[in-house]
Amino acid sequence: MRALVVDDSRAMRKIIAGALRKLGYEVVEAADGAEALKVLGEGPLPELATVDWNMPVMDGLTFVTQVRAIREYRSLSIMMVTTEAEHGQIVRALAAGAHEYLIKPFTVDALEEKLALLGLLPEVTA
Amino acid sequence: MTQDTGLDAQEVVDYVEDEALAQIVDQMWQSYFGHVEPLLPAFEPQEVPAPLLCASVGISGARPGLVTVLVQESAAKPLAAALLQEDGELTDDDVYDALGEVANIIGGNIKALVPDAGALGLPAIAEAPPLPRSNSRCAARLDANWQGHWMTFIVWLSGSGA
Repeated sequence: MRALVVDDSRAMRKIIAGALRKLGYEVVEAADGAEALKVLGEGPLPELATVDWNMPVMDGLTFVTQVRAIREYRSLSIMMVTTEAEHGQIVRALAAGAHEYLIKPFTVDALEEKLALLGLLPEVTA
Repeated sequence: MTQDTGLDAQEVVDYVEDEALAQIVDQMWQSYFGHVEPLLPAFEPQEVPAPLLCASVGISGARPGLVTVLVQESAAKPLAAALLQEDGELTDDDVYDALGEVANIIGGNIKALVPDAGALGLPAIAEAPPLPRSNSRCAARLDANWQGHWMTFIVWLSGSGA
């Protein structure tokens, strides 16, 4: 499976990408929403995008809204991974088209639980 | 124009107490720094010795705030290396990015405790703590030690956005 990790923090991209790679994901990264749209346009379409909220250039909510307006991207599952922790923000993100919401700080177990809810937790073979 | 939440400065400050800040920092530490030495809270306020680095994020809204993370410069690189889990040489940008993300995580969780909060700003890094707004109060503070280095986490909140 393929995942797109969108976060302006290199440290956070590394943490999320590292966890996903351990699960068998092939990971591509983007530092903001605009760069993420460019990555999606270059294909192939990943199964999952993890998206930060507060980023320069284009924030995560705008990215989600724009992705959801593109028919070809409808199979992309979006998980917000953000420090925005208010209920209202979660509702906004889900209403915009995100499928799951993970609040930073998070554990790898919490990330895996969210992936399982999305049906995107690969079976890791020993 | 700002929203009136009907709360005075002291009530807003009371929403974010030292204990809440300590819990957020502890949760962050366990999530991302669990593989290194624990962060040991100090029993009394400690000044972070210069030279230092300060990461900060602003909170807009009816009661604006500022979350600052002060670390000794000598601790900044080991801290970034721990977050990135990298042993190799880190650039200044790597260090600033890591410190900024620490402030961002704490700031976002603090914002969730503040009534009628607006947006969370992007992290900024400086060699001295930014001056909080003139009507701000220190709502919460945590001084802690990691590997012999002092760190201080402070939440400033204003009584109103005026």
